[in-house]
Amino acid sequence: MFQADTPAWIIAPVVLPLIAGLFCFLFKRRIFIIALAAALANFFVACFLIYQFLVFGSMRCYIGGWQPPLGITLRADGPALLMLLMTAVTGLAVTLYARGYFSCRIADSERAGRHQRQQRYFWPLWMLLLAGLNGLFLSGDIFNLYVTLELVAISAASLAALSGKPASQRASFRYLLISLLGSLTYLLGVVFLYRTCGVLDLDLLRNLSGNGAGVRAALALLTVGLLLKTALVPLHFWLPPAHANALAPVSVILSALVVKGSFYLLFRFWFELFSPIVTQAGLNFMGALGAVAIIWGAVQAIRQQRLKLMVAYSTVSQLGYLFVAFPLSRAVEGAQVWSIVIFIALTHACAKSAMFMVAGSIYLHLGHDRIRDLAGVRASLPVTVFAYGIAGVSLMGLPPSGAFIAKWMLLSSSLVSGQWWWALVIVAGSLLAMVYVFRVMSRFFVIPEGEPLKKPAALSPLLEWPALILALISLSLGLLAPWILHILSQGTVGLVRVFPGGLS
Amino acid sequence: MKTGTEIMGKIRNRHKRRDAFQLLFLILVFFLMALLGTIFSTIPVNNPGLASAVASLQTESGVESPVTAVLLNFRGYDTLLEVMVLLLAVIGVWSLIKAPAPDPETEISPVQMGVVRLLAPVMCLVAAYLVWQGSHLAGGAFQGGAILGAAGVLLLVSELPWLRTVPASVLRFGLVLGPLCFIGTALGCLFLGGELLAYPEGTAGWLILFIETACALSIGLTLALLFAGGRPHENVSRGDIP
Repeated sequence: MFQADTPAWIIAPVVLPLIAGLFCFLFKRRIFIIALAAALANFFVACFLIYQFLVFGSMRCYIGGWQPPLGITLRADGPALLMLLMTAVTGLAVTLYARGYFSCRIADSERAGRHQRQQRYFWPLWMLLLAGLNGLFLSGDIFNLYVTLELVAISAASLAALSGKPASQRASFRYLLISLLGSLTYLLGVVFLYRTCGVLDLDLLRNLSGNGAGVRAALALLTVGLLLKTALVPLHFWLPPAHANALAPVSVILSALVVKGSFYLLFRFWFELFSPIVTQAGLNFMGALGAVAIIWGAVQAIRQQRLKLMVAYSTVSQLGYLFVAFPLSRAVEGAQVWSIVIFIALTHACAKSAMFMVAGSIYLHLGHDRIRDLAGVRASLPVTVFAYGIAGVSLMGLPPSGAFIAKWMLLSSSLVSGQWWWALVIVAGSLLAMVYVFRVMSRFFVIPEGEPLKKPAALSPLLEWPALILALISLSLGLLAPWILHILSQGTVGLVRVFPGGLS
Repeated sequence: MKTGTEIMGKIRNRHKRRDAFQLLFLILVFFLMALLGTIFSTIPVNNPGLASAVASLQTESGVESPVTAVLLNFRGYDTLLEVMVLLLAVIGVWSLIKAPAPDPETEISPVQMGVVRLLAPVMCLVAAYLVWQGSHLAGGAFQGGAILGAAGVLLLVSELPWLRTVPASVLRFGLVLGPLCFIGTALGCLFLGGELLAYPEGTAGWLILFIETACALSIGLTLALLFAGGRPHENVSRGDIP
């Protein structure tokens, strides 16, 4: 019944975490085992789907057997599967890290009850968020995408509020309102599109969408809604407080995965659905916002006094690179624009999760994350500091990280097409990233005078190793580049071709 | 030293400035709405939408009401995820606060008690009728669930302590029941027929009724628990997590 080429496998990444979420809510004990099993299964299914894609080509699953325009389609193509794999890998690491984090917090007997409760609700929320994200990457129906966006938004806002501190509750309430505003704007866009075209399936919409005012209004509404969720400057104001005040595993999830979901949709809309009506001026506008985000986010990151806020502003900055790819999309081969954003997204997901995990471990170890007072952490948390350094290398975009490849493609295409100002922004952003990464790094290695060298602290390996492994993955993405490009080059018709000249 | 009037004046100024800002914002929103409305009205309606497709496949859906057919058959996957969103709302609220403890001193007046005794069973009956009616007329899980939720709210505002007497694990089970039945049915269809939510020939009507009944119960409980405003007080004596 279930052959290797059965399209029904596509629903597994949605259904598995969904069931796990329900059971995590229902049961009281062994929740972690359920969540870990779901995360592992999700990872293996993602790997299997990629294998299936490489062997049998792009898959489509018609839910309930109803073909479009009536039914809902799930599709597995190159970009969707890579995002799925990114979510699965990061999600597995977060699941392990969260276990270590909550165990460490609960061991502190003073507030054990509160931390047990946080853990109790973390797992179902995280599992449902995972299901929502997977559904978002795979869905091929514009209204179903709205439902998955809701699933992601509500679980993400609840997760952000989990720490219970007033600052985090304020930030997450604002996050919830912004998210809902974004969702409703998106929904209004869907209404315009449905009124104009009369279908909801993305493939059918691509054929039908003409150049009318209705379609343009829909594009504007969808874009604004998704930009609010992606936190591109100037709509980024909600992101740093929400991400920095959440619990450490939650910060990882929000920063590495949730913002990528809405960006992925935005990118798909601009370069697939609406590609006939997108103008160079519109692309330049998005690129300009991205450029402002790179510089502004990096400058803010340099100015921060707390490690978690610094990492959160670094997210604002790194998201900018994704948008700088927009204006350069017409200067490159069709393949490259997908590979650029996928490389940035994958590297950032791994490196930023590692960084937030490091920040969380340091907070657990020291009881604070003031950058000024981080001196000597190297001696007590060597693995964590190593992970920070490697993740920092990836964020700066040094070789052989995946970000290096993406930035190299951006630089070369901007110089070749004569749009040198983008190259300037990218170089400046990388230099600024170097400043904010090394500013913290240098504190780690300072041993205060007169103090004996601290012994390595006994942190749970679950707190240290997932961060290091993710950092190493982000660093080695550049070495895996041919494999990723191979996946991207398959099956995504009309948009992705292998770029011929290599990296020259 | 600032005098009180100066400070008051400053506060008033700030209020005025904010008023001006709000006015500007309102005007902008108004123009945006007008623009969107104009565009919307100029879209030529030359497509029938999906109504004709729904009508042509109505007989295969197992129900007579087109809304139910779309919600639970053609686009059942959307509804499955929407039910999850409702559950998420409760989990989110429970993760934040405890339900306020009811005042044990309150006495319920006999008139109120009489009204509750009269209304609550009727509401349950109406809810069941709405779920049943969903197969051929307007109605269904969400409408029935809303009435059930209203019945729960009625009990809550009458200070009847049903939330405290029902064990938390039963409440959890009630909340999960609908989504679990829905996803269980969907997976059952997958294993029997090879497609998620592809109801086997001839069973669609009954399966839809089954899903709708379970979901109506869960939705009603969800709404009532959202009104209660927090997680129930769990029994912590047996080493449970509070």
